[in-house]
Amino acid sequence: MKHIRNFSIIAHIDHGKSTLADRFIQFCGGLDLREMSAQVLDSMDIEKERGITIKAQTAALHYKARDGEVYNLNLIDTPGHVDFSYEVSRSLSACEGALLVVDASQGVEAQTVANCYTAIDLGVEVVPVLNKIDLPAAEPERVCQEIEDIIGIEAIDAVRASAKSGIGIEDILETLIAKIPPPVGDVDAPLKALIIDSWFDNYVGVVMLVRVKDGVIKPKDKIKFMATGAEHLCEQVGVFTPKALQRSELRAGEVGFIIAGIKDIKSAKVGDTITLMKTPAAEALPGFKEVQSQVFAGLYPVESHDYDNLRDALEKLQLNDASLKYEPEVSQALGFGFRCGFLGLLHLEIVQERLEREFDMDLITTAPTVVYELLMKDGEVIHVENPSKLPDPAKVEEIREPIITAHILLPQEYVGAVMTLCNGKRGVQRNMQYLGRQVMLTYDMPMNEVVMDFFDKLKSTSRGYASLDYDFKEYQASDLVKLDILVNSEKVDALSLIVHRQSAQFRGRAVAAKMRELIPRQMFDIAVQAAIGAHIIARETIKALRKNVLAKCYGGDITRKKKLLEKQKAGKRRMKQVGNVEIPQEAFLAILQVGDK
Amino acid sequence: MSVIDISALSGGLKELPPLSLYIHFPWCVRKCPYCDFNSHEAKNGFDEMGYVAALLADLESSLPQIWGRPVTTIFMGGGTPSLFSAAAMDALLCGIRARVRLHPDAEITMEANPGTFESDKFKGYRAAGINRLSIGVQSFDPAFLQGLGRIHNGDEARRAVDIALTHFDNVNLDLMYALPGQTPEQALSDIDTALGYGITHLSAYHLTIEPNTLFARYTPANLPDDERSADMQEAIEARLAAAGFEHYETSAFARAGYQCRHNRNYWTFGDYVGIGAGAHGKISSHAGVLREARYKQPAAYLKAVAAGKPVQEAHKVGRQDLPFEFMLNALRLTGGFEEELFAARTGLPLVLIARELKQAGQDGLLERTGGLIRPSLKGQRFLNDLLTLFLNDGD
Repeated sequence: MKHIRNFSIIAHIDHGKSTLADRFIQFCGGLDLREMSAQVLDSMDIEKERGITIKAQTAALHYKARDGEVYNLNLIDTPGHVDFSYEVSRSLSACEGALLVVDASQGVEAQTVANCYTAIDLGVEVVPVLNKIDLPAAEPERVCQEIEDIIGIEAIDAVRASAKSGIGIEDILETLIAKIPPPVGDVDAPLKALIIDSWFDNYVGVVMLVRVKDGVIKPKDKIKFMATGAEHLCEQVGVFTPKALQRSELRAGEVGFIIAGIKDIKSAKVGDTITLMKTPAAEALPGFKEVQSQVFAGLYPVESHDYDNLRDALEKLQLNDASLKYEPEVSQALGFGFRCGFLGLLHLEIVQERLEREFDMDLITTAPTVVYELLMKDGEVIHVENPSKLPDPAKVEEIREPIITAHILLPQEYVGAVMTLCNGKRGVQRNMQYLGRQVMLTYDMPMNEVVMDFFDKLKSTSRGYASLDYDFKEYQASDLVKLDILVNSEKVDALSLIVHRQSAQFRGRAVAAKMRELIPRQMFDIAVQAAIGAHIIARETIKALRKNVLAKCYGGDITRKKKLLEKQKAGKRRMKQVGNVEIPQEAFLAILQVGDK
Repeated sequence: MSVIDISALSGGLKELPPLSLYIHFPWCVRKCPYCDFNSHEAKNGFDEMGYVAALLADLESSLPQIWGRPVTTIFMGGGTPSLFSAAAMDALLCGIRARVRLHPDAEITMEANPGTFESDKFKGYRAAGINRLSIGVQSFDPAFLQGLGRIHNGDEARRAVDIALTHFDNVNLDLMYALPGQTPEQALSDIDTALGYGITHLSAYHLTIEPNTLFARYTPANLPDDERSADMQEAIEARLAAAGFEHYETSAFARAGYQCRHNRNYWTFGDYVGIGAGAHGKISSHAGVLREARYKQPAAYLKAVAAGKPVQEAHKVGRQDLPFEFMLNALRLTGGFEEELFAARTGLPLVLIARELKQAGQDGLLERTGGLIRPSLKGQRFLNDLLTLFLNDGD
């Protein structure tokens, strides 16, 4: 066991985590050159394109160190985005150490800080590495200082490396062996294996990536999941190099996979503990929790006959993504669709993109919302995740909205602009800390303001330099109202939203104005209204078209005339009919395109 | 009008529709920036007798398809047919009479553009048998004519109409409105000028920016907006109605008895042979409805005729496309069509489009009374929306 090192890599998007992992694999001979596609561990197209890691992956590497010994290095690649912080914490708790990879030209970012704190909290040894050292803009001294200032770990002797050019790879591996402790665990104790991640494979069913803390697991063992209570027969165990390699057993301290003929990913939850039925562990490993959806949005097929296809696609996605929740929903405006719950905005975007790309779905997505907590007059507390389902205000004692604590790390020069942005989003400043040239702003903010468009605005306000990390703080009572949008007097349920009373007037006017831009003129006048209850607060009129007719049509080119009309018709088919009005897809996201006052 | 019962052969069409002949003349003095027709600048002149011979050879190659059927109308369009001499036209019409049964009462229209008018020439056209003229005036206002890239000015336009009316009693003027910078008053002024002459027919076209034209690439900045151009259209329709012109098709107005029979044949889904460069034809037979197109480039066309194969593209109109193609034409007629015409022309029962007809009725776009199917006023204004109902989506 003393030759095992389990570690993960903490890095901000684009700071070179995946490239570094690839270098390790190459250096240790995990794959031939011909098998190396750029960034091996990010296997989904979206991961490669966006440069982010969504699913955890591992590689078991054999490294012959300078001391002549062969070490077994288990790299656990973790997701790197705020939406996936629970997955990150599970990955980290499977390790004894973590490489903190920081771009030597850009410095520390908020996400990295958050993950580092998680690692330190879990007792994981953090080893700093400066990457991209060969860039002309690299400032290793400044960045080392920043790591010490912001994260509070020694960084003076941080390894200087360039994953891209292959500089310092061996140094990193040596430092890793020296600094990161070997795993501790009792091979003879009852089995405790932590599920780091799980996914569905078409041939073998659910594959679980585990870290064995105590004991040994072999094929034919009867296993039990301590949180869900599910029981299964272990069929295969093995490691990823990153190719899957079967082994006869997995022992305490090791990281590998277990296949147990499981059909449903929901019974192999990330963070759960696997033990043996014969000799069960007394208690599960700490830290397991059910992941809660933070952000909800309606997903609707553009063409209603695609509803079944959408359901199939969601089902398939869920096989690999237990954090995706969905249930059927009917909207008067959009017809049959699904209310889906996501970990965060990025998660939503990823699901949406995968549906469109891998399943060829044409979707309308409603504006994302958060979960509101309602105290009813009768004392009951209910949760509402869809603005159009908000009960009659007369029955509601108070509406509470989720508040998050946001940590924003940004260069000094943008502090003023970002503070203005946060205040405009009803943020309450909690702290401001100068850390070298960077500033850490801490704000409490209503989450519904954040899911709207905060991230995009933050990026544009700070020219992309600000980074954001947030976690849920509490539910807070607030003066919230439901804003409805009516098109020719018909309420468009998919456009309802919950807003603070103070901004309702402005939002209503802005959405109505935006809708007027987005809805094309039709054969009749269209009134777009914004209303709070029965009170109309804004109105815009889309004047009727006067005509739509081809001036000339003789015996000539009938085919071209036909194509022209087919094009008109295709344009219409991509719109949704509300009452007699055709509304284009973009209009359902009008609220996101509205500025702040 | 004589018809031939072929129901025994077709199983669909009970009788063949009337047959027209379209002849295309592909040359112009200059290409106009809004024009998307098959027209070419005649920079180095052209061999008019050679082209007439090609047209007759082309017609001959089509004879087997229209064997025995009388031709009821002829339309000579362009391009600028009036670039051809009266002698050439005479030779052409003689050649046609020798090859097909031309109805004694046939309407024979020729398009002419101001700038090509000489009194003697038009006298000659009349003598050759042409009995209707359609003049591409577009506007009488020199500023707009220049904006449209026309080769004539206002005075030449007036002179052309004078000459035309000296020799012809059945004359159409083409006018355009919604021109760059045009006010409704200016549009009406053109209409009034036209009405000051003893014309029988007027076509008022909303200037359309067609793809692949100079105007599509460099669209004039000051085109009247939708509101303004719709105001113009309504004012024009009112003015023409007051002057006793019936608005019988989207852009066509005529005095009683002077509707263009040739165009009406298109709009009632009749048959037509199209000869000349780029001409389109539609011919019904026991095998169904055939559409064909000639080679577009004059040089390519002449070569193809010499080789005995002037048709570049031909296809049978599928059953599923017939209702739309019928409606695309027939619903342009403000008076609509008699219910029986649908089955007579397409060979399909009307019940096939019962659902679409009902929908169009509910949308207020279509009216059905006394065995007639016609677009409502709203249906005329929003004809595209009405027509898309009949498009076949394949579902």
